[in-house]
Amino acid sequence: MKLTLNRRSFLSAAAALPLMPRMARAGTPFAFQASWINDAEFAGYFTAMDQGYYTAEGLDLTYLSGGPDVIPETAVIAGKADLTLTTPDTTILAISTQGAKLKIIGTQYQKNPVGIVSLAKNPIKTPADMVGKTIAVPPVNTISVEAMLAMNGIDKAQVNIVPYEYDPTPLIKGEIDGSLDFTTNVPYTIKLAGEDATSFLLYDFGYTLFNDTVVVTEETLAAKRKDIVAWLRASRRGWVDALADPAVWPPKFKDTHFAGTGREIDNEVFFNTAQKPLIEAEAGIFSMSEEAIAANIEALSKVGIKGSRDMFDTTLLEEI
Amino acid sequence: MGRNGLLALLVWEVIGRLGLIHGALPAPSAIAIKVWADRADYPPHVWATLQASGAGFAIGNLVAILAGMAFVLFPRLMQLARGVNIALFALPPLVVAPILSLVLEGMAPRITLAALGVYFVTMSATVAGLMHYDRRAADLVAAYGGGRLAVLRLVQLRGAVPAILSGFRVAAPNAVLGAILAEFGGGGRWGLGAYLLGSLGRADPARLWGIGLCATAIAGASYAVFALISARLLGSSRAISLNPTLPPVATQDPAWLRLTLGLGSALLPFALWWGVLAILAAPEMIAKTPLAVATYLTSPDTAPQAWARLSEALAETLPIAGLGLILGLGLAFALAVSGRLMPGFTRAFLPVALVTQTMPLVALTPLLVLMLGRGPALTLWVTISVTFFPAYVLMAQGLAQVPQGAMYVAHAYGARGWREMRLISIPASLPWAFAAARLTVPRALLGVMIAEWLATGQGLGALLNQSRGYLDFGMIWSIATLTVLLSVALYHAVLMVERRVLRRLGMAAAE
Repeated sequence: MKLTLNRRSFLSAAAALPLMPRMARAGTPFAFQASWINDAEFAGYFTAMDQGYYTAEGLDLTYLSGGPDVIPETAVIAGKADLTLTTPDTTILAISTQGAKLKIIGTQYQKNPVGIVSLAKNPIKTPADMVGKTIAVPPVNTISVEAMLAMNGIDKAQVNIVPYEYDPTPLIKGEIDGSLDFTTNVPYTIKLAGEDATSFLLYDFGYTLFNDTVVVTEETLAAKRKDIVAWLRASRRGWVDALADPAVWPPKFKDTHFAGTGREIDNEVFFNTAQKPLIEAEAGIFSMSEEAIAANIEALSKVGIKGSRDMFDTTLLEEI
Repeated sequence: MGRNGLLALLVWEVIGRLGLIHGALPAPSAIAIKVWADRADYPPHVWATLQASGAGFAIGNLVAILAGMAFVLFPRLMQLARGVNIALFALPPLVVAPILSLVLEGMAPRITLAALGVYFVTMSATVAGLMHYDRRAADLVAAYGGGRLAVLRLVQLRGAVPAILSGFRVAAPNAVLGAILAEFGGGGRWGLGAYLLGSLGRADPARLWGIGLCATAIAGASYAVFALISARLLGSSRAISLNPTLPPVATQDPAWLRLTLGLGSALLPFALWWGVLAILAAPEMIAKTPLAVATYLTSPDTAPQAWARLSEALAETLPIAGLGLILGLGLAFALAVSGRLMPGFTRAFLPVALVTQTMPLVALTPLLVLMLGRGPALTLWVTISVTFFPAYVLMAQGLAQVPQGAMYVAHAYGARGWREMRLISIPASLPWAFAAARLTVPRALLGVMIAEWLATGQGLGALLNQSRGYLDFGMIWSIATLTVLLSVALYHAVLMVERRVLRRLGMAAAE
């Protein structure tokens, strides 16, 4: 937002002073489609925006918030955005079955934060505990839960999967036994409601996937490689800042990026703190090690999704 | 109404305070306190929703009235456009919303969804209003040399104003809900729908009710405005004497022309579908053309699995949709009749009914689940709540338009109350009752799909959302196509019954 405002005020200033020599143009337009509404999941990008890292890289960033109807892969395929964040299972499925020309060029989460959240007084600590229980899962994520159950030798018919609409009330009230959600986020709300939450990551039970994988189309990759590398560099700087002390940045977005979301800043601080170990990587944020890529492909192959190494492109990260 | 309303509020307060219904229904005072605490959040969201729904309402109604006039002037055009009209009405917003947010940008998806919710209601109200005019007045205009347009302007349009206004009344909440649904899914930052999405994760029913009631206030206010205008105008334009002429018998077109029009009406929606995709230049992978859907449903690679899943889902969805439809229509009829016999009761019930129309279901369903579970009770509740209101408005409209002269006859012979209703008002308003039934068919299917999507996880609604997770665009478009085709088939089934009954009674159908 701030970037747009800067550019707008710059343009009006330029209009007011027609004799002023032409200054450096606002950077290359670059549209980024996020995968959800503005919350701490995207704190790194907001930090980079506010710190001017994209501008410094010569990018004029348009940030598009996501939502349940926004399927990130389709946003880049339709040309609405240059780059997006996806779940690797859907992206690889789109490439392998629909012939989508997409490349995974990095990952925000080394470990997918998605897991089964339950109440401590009725805990679900392993996939085996899910048998006979009612678990709420957003319909679009059913694929992930069924995959994880299959990996752990559990027949999906033994678990009662019902739709989840991002509202933890039924869990807190005991109408359901568990839900699939970001383990970095919803335990905060549960605690606020006077309960304790237990959770496990799908990742820790064989579903060894990244999440918020950075995805571009092959066409954009060929045409805007420099800009994409610039985006990766600026975003990594933003994330390094945002995670250095996870409590520092979220409060600064209170009246800007987080205004009007209906969520609490304390929740965002909790979120940012919890996600830190899932994002940070030895080789730098966004990096994808060969072992991790192999683990992704391996996990997906067990549920019939055919991934391959050439769907991932790690060469851009090397150019940062 | 004031006393009843206060009583209802008091009961609600007690239920809320005692934490009955698992705390899913907070006390009104708790909601009010929450809204007050959140007061700084609301203005930008409300403003965004007002802009989107207002623009959609204006555009949708303008198109609807122009189309309605064209259809009445050129009945063959209406025959040709019938397929498109029904398809537009039966188009599931659940499916359209993600597609719109993909191919359009900014406010456009919200405005389009709001306009889509408005078009059919106002168009059919306009046509119904324009067709039911006093033919003697038209003869008078004709005798003084007035042409077809003069009759339209001087007689039909004036006579149609009450009907059009009643269309606006139903359309207004539709526009608000359409905008909110698109805001909820589309990823923008402002709008009550966006606020709702962000608030869902807080497990705070008071906030969700606050947002829902705010949406209700907007929709209710617009409903009230048109109800008021309509009450003012109706007083001066109601038929005071019986219209003794039968509607002119439509001249029968030659068989070849009827066949061509019928074929054209069936093909036009597909041509339009194709055309819109071509204009938007949406990528082939996402935007499936009619041919691509046909291929998906017939090619040996995809068809067997697709049909297996579709037929399983249909078997879950259809029976309960039928039941919900019947119950919704029954409730609407009971309400419309009791509105005449016991106006006080209906006036007290209507605000409650309006609330159920304008509470965004995405906000309420997690809470409804706590009250009703995830079984058929919840599905029926949602289905009835999305069907009965539009049906009620049309039926009440029909009852209100019964010529006074006819009723005086009944009154003079001592028939009052239910007897008068049975002998005069109900038969006279049959065309409206049938129009209500037709209007309700696609909504029943939609209601069931919403419940399946949000709560039960069965049937077409769940299949649709799971298919999005698998990026199975062929399935997504197939479900949309199938839903529309099913609605159209049921619509025609009602129409056939309607034609038989009305022909026997010497009445014209309200298209």
